[in-house]
Amino acid sequence: MPGQKDLKNDVLDQDLCSACGMCVGLCPYIKTARDRVRVIYPCGLAEGTCYSICPKTGVDVRAMDLAVFGREREDQALGVMQGIYIARAVQDRASGAQYGGVASALAALALEQGMVSAMVLTGGDVLNPYPVLARSADEARACAGSKYTGVPTLEILNRAIREGLDHPGVVGRPCQVLAARKAEHSPLPGTQFNQAGSFGLVLGLFCFWALDPKFYQFLTNKVKDKIIKMDIPVEGPVIEAESGTYRWQVEDLRPYIKKSCNLCLDSTSEWADIAVGSTEYDPAWNTVLARSDKGRELLDLALRLNVLEVGEYPAERFPLLRRAALNKKMRVLKMQEYQPGRPGCPVVPPEYQKQLEEQWGGIGQ
Amino acid sequence: MTIMGVCCDKPGVKVALTGNESIARGALEAGVGYASSYPGSPTAEVLGTLAKLARQFNLYAEWSINEKVAMEVAAAASFTGLRSLVIMKADGLNVALDFASALAISGCRGGMVIVVGDDPGAHSSVREEDSRNLCKALHLPVLEPASVQEAKDVTREAFSLSESLQLPVVVRCVTRVCHASGDVLLGELAPAGRRPAFNQGDRVITFSIKLHALQEQKLARASDWAGNSRLNSYHGPGDAGRLVIASGPCYMYALEALEMLGLSEQVGVLKLGVTWPLPEKLLLSYLKTAAEVVFAEEVEPFVEDNVMALAARHWDEVGKIKFYGKRNGQVAGPNGPGIGELDPDVLAQSLSAIWGTPYTKPALPAHQEIFDLLGTKMPDRELALCAGCPHRASFWSIRTALELDGRGGIVLGDIGCYTLGIARTGYYLLQTMHCMGAGVGIASGLGKLDCFGFDKPVITVVGDSTFYHAALPALVNARYHRASFMCVVLDNETTAMTGHQPHPGRETTATGEPADTVPMEEIIRGIGIPYAVQDPYDVEAAIEAVYRMLQQQGPRVLILRRACALAAVKGKQKNRVYVDPEKCIGDSCGCSRFCSKVFACPANIWDAESGKARIDEAVCNGCGVCATLCPQQAIVVERTV
Ligand SMILES: Cc1cc2nc3c(=O)[nH]c(=O)nc-3n(C[C@H](O)[C@H](O)[C@H](O)COP(=O)(O)OP(=O)(O)OC[C@H]3O[C@@H](n4cnc5c(N)ncnc54)[C@H](O)[C@@H]3O)c2cc1C
Ligand code: SF4
Ligand code: SF4
Ligand code: SF4
Ligand code: SF4
Repeated sequence: MPGQKDLKNDVLDQDLCSACGMCVGLCPYIKTARDRVRVIYPCGLAEGTCYSICPKTGVDVRAMDLAVFGREREDQALGVMQGIYIARAVQDRASGAQYGGVASALAALALEQGMVSAMVLTGGDVLNPYPVLARSADEARACAGSKYTGVPTLEILNRAIREGLDHPGVVGRPCQVLAARKAEHSPLPGTQFNQAGSFGLVLGLFCFWALDPKFYQFLTNKVKDKIIKMDIPVEGPVIEAESGTYRWQVEDLRPYIKKSCNLCLDSTSEWADIAVGSTEYDPAWNTVLARSDKGRELLDLALRLNVLEVGEYPAERFPLLRRAALNKKMRVLKMQEYQPGRPGCPVVPPEYQKQLEEQWGGIGQ
Repeated sequence: MTIMGVCCDKPGVKVALTGNESIARGALEAGVGYASSYPGSPTAEVLGTLAKLARQFNLYAEWSINEKVAMEVAAAASFTGLRSLVIMKADGLNVALDFASALAISGCRGGMVIVVGDDPGAHSSVREEDSRNLCKALHLPVLEPASVQEAKDVTREAFSLSESLQLPVVVRCVTRVCHASGDVLLGELAPAGRRPAFNQGDRVITFSIKLHALQEQKLARASDWAGNSRLNSYHGPGDAGRLVIASGPCYMYALEALEMLGLSEQVGVLKLGVTWPLPEKLLLSYLKTAAEVVFAEEVEPFVEDNVMALAARHWDEVGKIKFYGKRNGQVAGPNGPGIGELDPDVLAQSLSAIWGTPYTKPALPAHQEIFDLLGTKMPDRELALCAGCPHRASFWSIRTALELDGRGGIVLGDIGCYTLGIARTGYYLLQTMHCMGAGVGIASGLGKLDCFGFDKPVITVVGDSTFYHAALPALVNARYHRASFMCVVLDNETTAMTGHQPHPGRETTATGEPADTVPMEEIIRGIGIPYAVQDPYDVEAAIEAVYRMLQQQGPRVLILRRACALAAVKGKQKNRVYVDPEKCIGDSCGCSRFCSKVFACPANIWDAESGKARIDEAVCNGCGVCATLCPQQAIVVERTV
């Protein structure tokens, strides 16, 4: 099994790191500043945990389905799931919530219920995001709002584990969800994750891409006053600042999209317990995918306790969502850089690939 | 005896002193009224000693901001008729050179002695500059003590010579004399001090070419004086055909070498206590009888060249002489002629080769044998920052921030403890290292190369004492020209390298009087450069601070402030730091012996037997930085407070 040198050569130096943060702080040799992840000193070991858990060092999609859910997926677009809904927070909706505030509400609930000892979240603001280890519902709600850069949030997970926290929870982008699952399920050479399988909750976000730290420069140059919120609706990126609203086209941001995101197959956090995204039609609501039993139970509980209001997912939107997810996958699989098994490129086994093409064709372009 | 010995009022008594204390005693016997210095090895302790006695002897002593200022303030005292002493290392004379060359023209009034500590072998310096060549260019007389006793005698003589010539006199003292200890026969302490006078109409100026002529006359007088001075002496047979001309401690080495070769009866040794101007008449009288002359001096062939020139001028009187020295490679240590120190053994080997006298290295004394034996078993002690040194934490932060930044930023440095940034313990960071403050100037230069497409970020590190000493002009230059670089002040709140002397950022002066502190923040703010202050022991925050500032443009300063570890624990109970072997994962992934192998505080050691890290508690200064870096929290700090 490869180690730090390979992580550096295959992932970091190839600009394939998505800044999930999982390798950061595993040891004193990998550090981060302003979302950059770097090996700062050679550790000298040939095999390493850092390589094993990196979401970009390769994953077999089917094998991961089996490891996490014990079964294969039927839907190649959205992965294993038990149900799809729209939802929004009703009690104590986080004031900075991106959409329906479901992510924050569930994180808070998991903390209150003792389902997790702490939640690994992304706090701060659009220009200055940072990892937060929330231990209370209020701390969790304070992290609401999407930061569109690749924030190495999981760095703080490592610290939490070292400090002896068991069953921590995570809210993360799909790559971060994968990193958490790899840590749970890989045979690891190091002792860093000696409580395998012990995540209390893995809540995944939808994510089609994240932005590079260079985006900060772009933003500071364009927006001089305080930024309140950023969103990327279908019409294009919007920044709400104190003095007004700034709008761009997705094309303006494209130069800042992380290279690793272009090779990513997972836009809906396919290995999360529960995945949350936008609805693309009503900013007051979220799309919610219950995937694992744990995710399903949490959603039920939230409903029972009146934490969330949950509705049926509009039937007419379902194909749109699936098409968006499938389009991304097909785009990746057809890219020249995509060479299955190479760093940054997940492996889709032949039977999955076949289904994928059928389902994509079935949906119509 | 130390300080008690220096001020002991019992003429004729012998007390044990170091060379530096002996110089201080000589100054007291000469009635010094004013002393100034910038700390530098090997002469750093002279002023410290005088400062302790300042009140008792009614003298003024100060650690000046740099050597040039030190020389100026001492000259001022001399202009008023006081006797004054200024002390510096060879590098310091370079700093003071501009004023020194002017002062040599204007001359002085009260006796003024410039003690210059040369460091042959560069034991505690970055170079082994021989300051005599500079002194010759300056037209200043140079006296060289050969022993601890002479350090005192020469210093006292130097005052009276200076006063009679109205010209500063240099006492050039090398490390082996400064740091040696020996019995010193005390002379009388000077009676109570003079009163300064500088009246309207008094002029001490450098203008007019006539003064150059006067300089030459003064030197001629000095040469005459030297001819009769007790500081030069001869040891050996009359009319010796073979002669060794020696200066400084090489005189002692020469006597010993001849003894070992059994040549003491046949070879004469002429010791020059005055090496500039040469005591020409004296020298000629010995050259007349000599057919072979060997030079024993450190470092450069200074006496050698000048005596050979003298002989050439007087070829018809001195006849045919064969000269042996550094120029023909006959007198050379292991590193080659004119490089490094001499010692009795090196000299004996050289003389044996010259005269064909058989020489075998004397058997080692028993303890030496043991030592050598041990030497082969013990690893070489590397040049390393002390345990707990805040500079290590600072260097680690700088290194990490540069790696995170990823633009291949470069790091410049200069002189101080932090010079060790060139070695492993400073993670090999420093890429230039020249003289006090040079890093800032070089950074200011590199910081303007963006117009040629040079886009690497530049960091220069400078110590707190160096900051005051020499960094300011370059910082002003940088601000004025908008040079882009980051200056990191490694502020350990003292002049650590030379023994913790105070500087303008401190609350007291050399003599312990309260000072009007000049905080560096105020200076930097005044120059108009943005700055931040951070504790390097908080490594995470320090990395962040360095990284953030790296992203900025223009000149900027980051002060990494934390007291020198040695000063911090002095007289206090240290925190106890130890490794919990249960938690330490040592070799395995997730650490890979980070503390002992990478961070490498000398107290972080690896216990191969148990496969765990350990703290060498005798060495550890209890800073706790390694504990914050250990990935397993395996290092425990028991705080004493
Ligand atoms: C980079 C990025 C790209 C996204 N792209 C899409 C997309 O294309 N389509 C879509 O439907 N949804 C996308 N989302 C998800 C969406 O923005 C909302 O986060 C999600 O719908 C949850 O909304 P909410 O109101 O429940 O969130 P909130 O209650 O406001 O909670 C937001 C949560 O997101 C976490 N978070 C914020 N920023 C980051 C980050 N950079 N990395 C990891 N976690 C973070 C916070 O910890 C917080 O818990 C993206 C999110 C991110 C961070
Ligand atoms: S996780 Fe292991 S292999 Fe990777 S850098 Fe750290 S010590 Fe080295
Ligand atoms: S993707 Fe995550 S684990 Fe991989 S290198 Fe980047 S931060 Fe480390
Ligand atoms: S605490 Fe650690 S770093 Fe500090 S002096 Fe002791 S061993 Fe060295
Ligand atoms: S850094 Fe910590 S875990 Fe690693 S060897 Fe040292 S004490 Fe052990």
